[in-house]
Amino acid sequence: MIEVSHKCIGCAKCVPVCPFAAINMMDRKATMNEACTLCGVCVQVCPVQAITITREEGSTRDLSGYKGVWVYVELSETGDKTHPKKIKQVAFELLSEGRKLADKLGEDLCAVLMTDKEHGYEKELGAYGADKVYLVEHEELFEYNTDIFTTVMVSLVTRHKPSVILYGATIQGRDLAPRVASTLYVGLTADCTALAIKDGLLLQSRPAFGGNIMADILAPNSRPQMATVRPNVMKMSEPVLGRSALVVRETAKLDKSLRRVKVLERKIAHDAGAVRIENADVIVSGGRGMKTKERFKRLEELSRLLGGVVGASRAAVDLGFKEKSHQVGQSGTTVSPKLYLSFGISGAVQHIVGMKSSDVIIAVNKDPNAPIFNVAKYGIVGDAHELVPKLIEALAK
Amino acid sequence: MASIDVISRNLMLDSLKEYAKRRIPYDLIRELDDKNEFPADILKEMYDPEILGVHLLMIPEEYGGVSGGTYDIYRVCEQLARIDLGIATGVFATFLGTDPLNVGGTEEQKEKWLTRIAREKLLVAYGATEPDAGSDLVNLRTRAEHVVKNGKIVGYRVTGQKQWISNGGVADLYTILALAPGGPSWFLVEKDMEGFSPNKHEDKHGIRLSNTAGLSLDNVYVPAENLIGMEEGKGLLQAQAVFGYTRLMVAAFGLGAGTEALEQAVRYSQQRIQAGTPLSEKQGYTHKLIVPTACRLEASRSYIEYTANRLDGGEHGLQTEGAIAKYTATEAGNRMAEDAIQALGGYGYTKDFPVEKIKRDVKITCIYEGTSEIMEMTIYRGRWQEHLKTRGRYYLDQADELDRLHAQVPGVGAHAAALALRSLGAIMEECRVRKLTRHQHVTFKLGRLIADAEVAACFAKAAAQQKYSETVRFDKEAWQAMARVFARETTLATAVQGLALVLGAAEQAGSLSDAVNLEAVQAEQKGNVADMDLVAAKLKQTFKAK
Amino acid sequence: MNIAVLIKQVPDSTEVKINPETGTLIRAGVPSILNPYDHYALEAALELKKKHNFKVTVLSMGPPQAKAVVQLALALGADEGVLLSDMAFAGSDTWATSYALAKGIKKLGKMDIIFAGMQAIDGDTAQTGPAVAQQLGIPQVTFCEHVEVDGRRILARKQIDGGHELLEARPPVLITMIMGKDWTPKHPSFPAVHAALKKPFHVWSAADVGAEAQYLGLKGSPTQVNKIYPPPQREKAAMFNGSGQQGAEKILELLRAEHFIG
Repeated sequence: MIEVSHKCIGCAKCVPVCPFAAINMMDRKATMNEACTLCGVCVQVCPVQAITITREEGSTRDLSGYKGVWVYVELSETGDKTHPKKIKQVAFELLSEGRKLADKLGEDLCAVLMTDKEHGYEKELGAYGADKVYLVEHEELFEYNTDIFTTVMVSLVTRHKPSVILYGATIQGRDLAPRVASTLYVGLTADCTALAIKDGLLLQSRPAFGGNIMADILAPNSRPQMATVRPNVMKMSEPVLGRSALVVRETAKLDKSLRRVKVLERKIAHDAGAVRIENADVIVSGGRGMKTKERFKRLEELSRLLGGVVGASRAAVDLGFKEKSHQVGQSGTTVSPKLYLSFGISGAVQHIVGMKSSDVIIAVNKDPNAPIFNVAKYGIVGDAHELVPKLIEALAK
Repeated sequence: MASIDVISRNLMLDSLKEYAKRRIPYDLIRELDDKNEFPADILKEMYDPEILGVHLLMIPEEYGGVSGGTYDIYRVCEQLARIDLGIATGVFATFLGTDPLNVGGTEEQKEKWLTRIAREKLLVAYGATEPDAGSDLVNLRTRAEHVVKNGKIVGYRVTGQKQWISNGGVADLYTILALAPGGPSWFLVEKDMEGFSPNKHEDKHGIRLSNTAGLSLDNVYVPAENLIGMEEGKGLLQAQAVFGYTRLMVAAFGLGAGTEALEQAVRYSQQRIQAGTPLSEKQGYTHKLIVPTACRLEASRSYIEYTANRLDGGEHGLQTEGAIAKYTATEAGNRMAEDAIQALGGYGYTKDFPVEKIKRDVKITCIYEGTSEIMEMTIYRGRWQEHLKTRGRYYLDQADELDRLHAQVPGVGAHAAALALRSLGAIMEECRVRKLTRHQHVTFKLGRLIADAEVAACFAKAAAQQKYSETVRFDKEAWQAMARVFARETTLATAVQGLALVLGAAEQAGSLSDAVNLEAVQAEQKGNVADMDLVAAKLKQTFKAK
Repeated sequence: MNIAVLIKQVPDSTEVKINPETGTLIRAGVPSILNPYDHYALEAALELKKKHNFKVTVLSMGPPQAKAVVQLALALGADEGVLLSDMAFAGSDTWATSYALAKGIKKLGKMDIIFAGMQAIDGDTAQTGPAVAQQLGIPQVTFCEHVEVDGRRILARKQIDGGHELLEARPPVLITMIMGKDWTPKHPSFPAVHAALKKPFHVWSAADVGAEAQYLGLKGSPTQVNKIYPPPQREKAAMFNGSGQQGAEKILELLRAEHFIG
């Protein structure tokens, strides 16, 4: 609960900073209303430390015996008959990051894999740092299903008591993780951009408020501590070939009746056609500064010349310049190409969190103080929409 | 009429904003402005109850409307003006044209016509002005002669010319003021009645998206049931009964157009770098072109809201208040648009930026529904009566009240406003003693001083409130600073201009300078530059560069 | 069928700005809106209502001013609105929020389809929908773009990596919606807003829905915010001036220097 002590001097500094408009001044004293989420921003700005948030402890749960950092391994279809499924890259990214956490905790790093048919996945998982692979093989695991995968995950957790579980923030991970967290009544933090261990706890950093601000989240009183991380956020370590993981085979009691939602049809374009922005090497991105849809269209020519794909800021998507599937940022796709060339994007934090890990960022914007220049390697101050045709001309030569 | 709840009102405003964003982009407005074209399809869509139904605001619920109050209409008018003042005028013409019905119509007439306006999306025009009768409607020339059948008046033959009628060439229904044997009266005239025809669409300086035309009535037969109120001679009263209210709408236009210009200028000033820093950081720019009129606009907002709330609370008339609101807000809007052009420099003078159009558009608000000079006269007349009735206590009592407010909430300019009111009281008394109001110049100038002083007092009171109205986009720190800046300017202008006025008209110098307390007025100016710095910074925060 | 739609009022994050000096959010003048994903989900529900004559009830949780989004939903065509509002909810994370929402739904009675936006733009967690489904013990279909009903069959088109799935569920089910391509939110007309005032609207407290205090607020939330801070600043870019030709040549030079072109 939140309290304002008599120390409050009525300066009202806390009023405008509250992200939820939850503070009113009553009789020259700050008072919180129902909109308060106890986020603590006001505590930080109060010059006289008059605001305190105290946490009533819930029923204490026994946290002893929870050990191990787990990574949920997601498989994707390849369209190839002999190897119909492969491990998604995000699993390797999470193992690379999980390795560091496990070392810090002095615990094992374990991969959790559910499939209908084993394919020697443990070699790859071991190469990226897994000590153990919990492998569940069952014919009902032939495709992802919320109910079935939740059942298996929950039973594994109950049996082995891990302290941390990481999931890729993919369509599947974002379907499974909250269902598991809700069942177990444990904390789950979405779309973490950094993870660390602090006093034995998993410190999870994530952008909040459309990415305008960062928040550090803890889940001190429940286990496991669960987090999702977007693809392309964590750097993959170099695989150590020949480093193998111990395979622990787990059984699961599953049958068809658990499957409450049925797949009638699935259509996937297997890498046919265009490169998708999440794994493009070169992205040419545009924002509001491109002014019109027609001018924005010229970015496609430019990206073709550079062998890349077109990205867009949220503003550009909102203005109808480009489809949502090309949106880069917190509410779009996170990318980390080798080259990110941006035109007329000022760089709201929500955009920046989605592209800042690109290797080389070249930004063009007419405002010399645009935040995009804080993450770019090179900044060009100029009118983006005028510059693009010239650049196309020059490149075409 | 009481106003709609704040949530519903904001939902309506959101819908209006979203509609405009989607359907009326600046490029289209610019094209229509260039072609001097009235966007009939857009107006019809705005009247469509499935899409917006904006005209339903003026129509009571029982006739298919949504029963908007004055406050609601002020908010919608402000928003319309921010979109385009020409389109706003098209909507306003329907509001205005509907007014005589709302005020004077019989139950049957309201039932029939208001229901039709609501359901059939009728565009309405208000036909009062004539070539020789503007605010002086007594010079009305349009005649309505009786048509008698079997000894009973069954209708009227209406003949005459109307001038500068908004929606004149495009309306479906016209409320026409004509001189009947029993006196000036309002008649409902439909567009296809024989003998009725609109003249050509005027080529205007601004509000070019609004259709303006004269009307010719040549022996038009109007059935007796179309005489509003079914009684002759009530026309001028019916017209005047709503002035407080209709002028508030035009005040909202001035406020909306001015605020749009302000926003454009503030956003621009953060992007344009000169000698290494943005214009928004330069006092020579902000304290001249932005801050003073920004404060004046917010001051007029507080006064508009004060008057709207009184009307919604059931008070009638408020002609003087309506005039003060209109005068202050439209002059401030006009001034802001002028300054915004200057603030954008060369860009401001081109049609690529909207401020040039705002400037042309907003000028009309100082002209229609009574010119600024008619407002000065109206304000003077209303308050001169009060001054006489209270034996000079009218402003002194108000000043006492503000001094009490200042003791409670010191930072809102209440003390400066009290000083201004005391000066004003002294100046008016001096004018009375020396019989200076025989000069028309003195009376009009008094109208202006009265408006400023009352608005400053109103702003100080509003800024002292615990909770501000939903419309205020600034925090307390900013709004209070704005109230202080405006009160200081007002107290200085009242004292200095009032003195000059009296000294210029009187036969011999008197001892007025003691009564206006120039020393205190000077002392009051302390801290003004710092306050203007604060306002400039807050404006930047509120209207961030896009 | 009876349909419930979970909606949330959020600050328009595109308008949220940071004070660069203090690193705090500038909230003054930031409008509150209906979370766009919820808006889309609501419109999907209202489409079904139009086609099949279903009843649509909206449920929101938030401070009293969140009534605005419920009123908006009613103006857009929902039949009934409920706002869960209570100081006891303050500080709830997604777990505690979904607990309260699930209690609210139970009080509404039997619901066949529960719609929600895939996520709220202020939190971007995408957890509340699935967690509510779990609390209610019903299946979920997340990230859908289109839903149809054929008798008792509920057909949902779900977006997956690189394509889509067509899924079939039976009631009751919870469905979260992404936003359709090229979709722009509908806004109600003036008379629709006015008519909404006459539709049933309730405010329920924690006690009204039988939510227990130990599962609400900070106490009931497994996660807690340890710190909020501005995003880290980085080293500034090497800056060059250049519009038009000059800028184009500079970029060309940089692309060569970084070996992206020959």
